[in-house]
Amino acid sequence: MKEIATFMVNEKHYELAIEPHMLLVEVLRDELGLTGTKHSCGIGSCGACTVLIDGRPVLSCLTLALTVRGKDITTIEGLAQGTTLHPIQKAFVEHGAIQCGYCTPGMILSAKALLDKNLNPTDKEVKHALSGNLCRCTGYVKIIDAVLAAAEAMSKEAHP
Amino acid sequence: MSQKLSVVGKRIIQPDAAAKATGNAIYVSDITIPGMLIGKVLRSPYPHARIKRIDKSKAENLSGVEAIITPEDTAQWQKFDRGLKDLPMIAGGYTVPADEGVLNERARHFGDAIAALAAINEHIAEEALELIEVEYEELPFAIDPEEAMKPGAPQISDFAGRNIGKHMPYAFPEGDADKALGGADCVVEGTFTTTKQEHCTAETAAAVARIDISGRLIVWSQCQLPHLARREIAHIFNMPVHKVKMITPFIGGSFGQRGSLCAEPICIALALKTGKPVKLVYSREENFIALESRTGFKCNLKIGFNKDGTLTAIQVYMLGRLGGYMGCGPMASAIGMIFGLGHYRCPNRAGEADMVMTNTPVSGAFRGFGNPAIMWGIEQLVDEAAERLNIDPLTIRLKNIKRAGETANMGLRLESTYLEECIKQGAEAIGWREKWGKKKEGAIRRGVGLATMTHCSGAAPLYLDHSNAFIKLNEDGTADLVVHPAPVGQHIWGALSQIAAEELGIHAGDINIVTGDTDVTLFEYGSDASRSTYVIGNATLMAARNAKEQILARAAEMLDISPEELKISDRKISSRVDPKKSISVAEVCYDAIYNFKGECLNISGKCSWESKWNSPPTGAFFAEVEVNTETGKVTVRRLVTAMDCGKAINPMAVEGQLEGGMQQGIGYGLTEDYVINKDTGVVETDNYDSYKMPGILDMPETKVIIIDEPDPKGPFGAKGVGEPGMVGVAPAIANAIYDAIGVRIRDLPITPEKVLDALGSG
Ligand code: FES
Ligand code: FES
Repeated sequence: MKEIATFMVNEKHYELAIEPHMLLVEVLRDELGLTGTKHSCGIGSCGACTVLIDGRPVLSCLTLALTVRGKDITTIEGLAQGTTLHPIQKAFVEHGAIQCGYCTPGMILSAKALLDKNLNPTDKEVKHALSGNLCRCTGYVKIIDAVLAAAEAMSKEAHP
Repeated sequence: MSQKLSVVGKRIIQPDAAAKATGNAIYVSDITIPGMLIGKVLRSPYPHARIKRIDKSKAENLSGVEAIITPEDTAQWQKFDRGLKDLPMIAGGYTVPADEGVLNERARHFGDAIAALAAINEHIAEEALELIEVEYEELPFAIDPEEAMKPGAPQISDFAGRNIGKHMPYAFPEGDADKALGGADCVVEGTFTTTKQEHCTAETAAAVARIDISGRLIVWSQCQLPHLARREIAHIFNMPVHKVKMITPFIGGSFGQRGSLCAEPICIALALKTGKPVKLVYSREENFIALESRTGFKCNLKIGFNKDGTLTAIQVYMLGRLGGYMGCGPMASAIGMIFGLGHYRCPNRAGEADMVMTNTPVSGAFRGFGNPAIMWGIEQLVDEAAERLNIDPLTIRLKNIKRAGETANMGLRLESTYLEECIKQGAEAIGWREKWGKKKEGAIRRGVGLATMTHCSGAAPLYLDHSNAFIKLNEDGTADLVVHPAPVGQHIWGALSQIAAEELGIHAGDINIVTGDTDVTLFEYGSDASRSTYVIGNATLMAARNAKEQILARAAEMLDISPEELKISDRKISSRVDPKKSISVAEVCYDAIYNFKGECLNISGKCSWESKWNSPPTGAFFAEVEVNTETGKVTVRRLVTAMDCGKAINPMAVEGQLEGGMQQGIGYGLTEDYVINKDTGVVETDNYDSYKMPGILDMPETKVIIIDEPDPKGPFGAKGVGEPGMVGVAPAIANAIYDAIGVRIRDLPITPEKVLDALGSG
């Protein structure tokens, strides 16, 4: 039996009829067409499906959609302002941290959750924050570079 | 060859990066088409079984199910080889038998496709799958190649006597290895085994297929070889080639796995059966069991040396496990032998391989192909010989590596090699002199090790190395470049833009890549064999040169001077003699298109390029490890890769390839083990909870050194660099472990148990 629920995704409200068993990743991708959230392992082991809920990284492949109704959901589509990239996105682009790009949305959102709390992370803190996100292409090297560069850019923005 | 370059060599930003960073990039898995159905596949729970009966009635009655297909339905279509090698592409007419149907009435491995269905959504499709009833007759099975070759073993394919799918001789033998080994001062030998590594592409296999009203088949495919896939698909489904259109969206990783047909055949069959668009996305578990993964080998190696450390003979026998279908696996041994036996200067070389069919998931191409498997042994044995001869590992390699002008691994002249620089600079970076060969004490011991390797830039002369490029100049001096590499994440669009822009004297951002549609692109072998930058790059360079000649000719006329006098750079054409005489590329292109003097021309260049050359990249890998002698745990502390890949078109992209190779190499070396239960044939590692690919915390400190010296044959001196990055990692780690604790691990992956075992018996 479908249930009507309101979701707040990227600061917009959506009223949707949802089966109780539907996962957040399905609602985002199939119902809302927000295919930037990726599905890769389906068991919570890779982080490709990461979204932010009230600012915290959550695996949308393990989350029943109805449990997050009314909460503040951020997907990768919610970061850029028009064609102006978020500083983390910009850093990923500029540092060559994106190869196939399939892990990228999850990586960027995990990084955002970190940098929103800590604009001056150590190498170790970055690694720890991204430890649930698997990447098969990059060896993670440029991803770490990008997150550190984004932290620097964002802290300059915050304290000019 | 020194050339002033203004675009090539720059760390440009990739044209597709912003799309990927914002969720704007469309992958096959993201595609939705009106009326689209969702496909699902029913897979065998047994490694070998005859399908006695399939009852689909219950599933068919479920509302929302549109079609169910079984082997009976797919028998109308041609059998094929998923590795695309049943139709000739390889020099000498090498083919493998077409041994696979879209669905098969006999399951030959755990996970083999038995039936498939299409339904209006995912949940109904899943529910319906459970309602299909299959009666299996379980058959005896063989998991291990050695068992499969024994008399009385179950026969997997009619054509494969003793289940040997292919016997592969080494393609470039020389001298008399037996005799030379007999006379060698020092012979080192051993058996080295390697595992079936899974690609773990971030995007699982996916396809979308649609038949339009005119009977044209449109396939959104992740295949690395779209034009070869089109030909194979046309052949399977009895269609002329022009009725098939392959679209290549972004691909979420491949590393060789998408060099074969993956989800396409079943997806297309469902679209043909329903007349509706169908999307088929494999689960992670299906990605593990239904697709090709790295070929596992057992290599018996023997290498002979003179007292002074000169390598005199090398001999190998490789036993490879193919799985239930032939696929790309057989060539893994051929390629492994070419790179392994041809790496060092050696007058006596012999090798052969048996590639054996087994009731296991299929084997195929994975970054490096058979090269990592053979180098796993060779580089350990070279260290062993060095120790016996009392020569250090650097010196023995410097003594035996090939120099420019010698014969390279495929019988062609070695035009350039900077392996010596790789070894020296890598050794410096890891601190070899201070660290290697020192006495170790305590429970936790450190060691350093090295391994070297060579690989290829393209597939010539083994395969027909044919690429095409077409470039057209727009009226504002920008250009559209029509090419069809597979965008698997290797930054190829950027590299080709740089090559074209450099030649045309414009900016990389002035190039628009037109790609991904076989209706538009000219024939392209595809992205395979580290060939995109080298071969498609050369095609692009020649097409751009062709267009440039036209630009210069028209500019010369407009400026009233001879074309020889002109140079082109920074979007401007000017006289070398009198720089005041100049005109912009845009003005020339505009004048050509909007020409009221009766001389209209859309300036465009084309090149059909058949690569006759193959410049081997060479590299040295250095590892520093820490071994806990109480737990057996090996931790890689530092990895250095020093690579001679010719001129780096974009050093940032090259670093990315090599850094990614390190992750895959560490996984291959230490943690990635594809486990098949010997008693049941079931794959026990089918997702990331059981199959451990390295995460960010598993990565050591890394360093990439690019030698950056141009090769005479590559576009602006580039060589291929897609595959080399993982080849030497595992043997470098093994050699470092030996330096730390004095024992050798010859069986991949290097688990703590194996280390403890070796310590116990050592
Ligand atoms: S898809 Fe959710 S963690 Fe992998
Ligand atoms: S960029 Fe491909 S998985 Fe990370």
